[in-house]
Amino acid sequence: MRTIIIAILVSFAFAANVSAQCDSIASICSKNITAKYISDGQSYRALLNGEEVAEFKATFYGGSTYRIAACSGFTAGNLIFSIYDEDRNLLYSSSDYKNASYWDFKFASTVDCTVEAKLNSNNLKSGCAAMVIGFK
Amino acid sequence: MFALCSIFMVGCVSDVKKEAQDEAANADSAAANRIMTIGGNMFSIPSPIQTALLIEKSGAEYDKKFLNDPKKSTTYATIYQKALNLGVYGADVGYVTIYDQSQDALKYLGVINKLADELGITGAFDEQTIKRFESNFGKRDSMLSLVSVAYRNSDAFLKENDRMNVGALILAGGWIETLYFSTQLAAKSGNKDIINRIGEQKYTLNNIVKMLTPYYDQPEYDALVDELIELSYDFDAIDIKYTYGPSTVDVATKTTTINSKTEVIITKEHLKGIAARVEKLRNKIVG
Repeated sequence: MRTIIIAILVSFAFAANVSAQCDSIASICSKNITAKYISDGQSYRALLNGEEVAEFKATFYGGSTYRIAACSGFTAGNLIFSIYDEDRNLLYSSSDYKNASYWDFKFASTVDCTVEAKLNSNNLKSGCAAMVIGFK
Repeated sequence: MFALCSIFMVGCVSDVKKEAQDEAANADSAAANRIMTIGGNMFSIPSPIQTALLIEKSGAEYDKKFLNDPKKSTTYATIYQKALNLGVYGADVGYVTIYDQSQDALKYLGVINKLADELGITGAFDEQTIKRFESNFGKRDSMLSLVSVAYRNSDAFLKENDRMNVGALILAGGWIETLYFSTQLAAKSGNKDIINRIGEQKYTLNNIVKMLTPYYDQPEYDALVDELIELSYDFDAIDIKYTYGPSTVDVATKTTTINSKTEVIITKEHLKGIAARVEKLRNKIVG
């Protein structure tokens, strides 16, 4: 019984720690959305292990420029993100640009996309992935 | 033919409902385990501010009658009503700010603060946010940025506290209100850019239905999801032609230009049908 209680307490403490860590990462990541950009009002987070991939669907409007920032851990380059169109054509991957933690995208026309994020396995085995989007 | 279509439609709705119930059961067990999605799906709903900016750019004049009266905020009793209308008022504050109606914006921020407080959302909308907003009067982008960051903090708070259902309602409320502005204006002005933007909502509507579906078994959510599914049938008539074009990259400025093209084909009749259904849904939400 005592073992179960300890296990529950440990898991609660772990969850609280992960949540606090995720908060800090998201806060650091949001600094990439500079004053020129307006936040899209959402916070994208996922706890990733190993090769797990977090993904979200997004519609990017034509005529807008977006800044997407992706972070994990407390140093740059720990999260790799890619953008695919509806036909699964790869539009961008940060792995082609030294795992840049933010990048800007000019959309000539509105495009429905899937954004995928995974950990840079050379640097992290698990951790909180946080992404933020701004537009102008 | 009509009978065949009707049978097909009923079959479709019933399949979606079954799927919704299954997903609701899965969501319950997932929610019990973690506060964050693990390798799962998330949805990005475009900011209402983007379409409000397009409306202003189209030359449309400021029209208060499209907005939800701040006084109605006292009539929202349930979490469901408060959350949806927190989204509605978020779209409204964006609209009034874009049109430099600072005093109206303050009224909306006041009710947003109150609703957020009633929903137990802390650290997003507070007196400090309102003061900072006031001190930035006349600086439109700074004011929009403050509101957007407050909504992002609210979204983060709800996700951290395992209340994604409330966050989903806020996003849905903002989206419905913006679609309401757009359809009302398009009917009046026939502006091509606004009509195209309405057509492009076919993508987002699909994401909103998927985002809300896990909560289908919760009171009031089922009716909203059903109405959004009905709306998606209206959107099915819109043809969107997508053509991939290779992207171009400027490494020095860390910028990629996405050259793919999307063409929206929407008739006046379809637009009219969508406008009528959105108006009915929006009015039901604001009361």
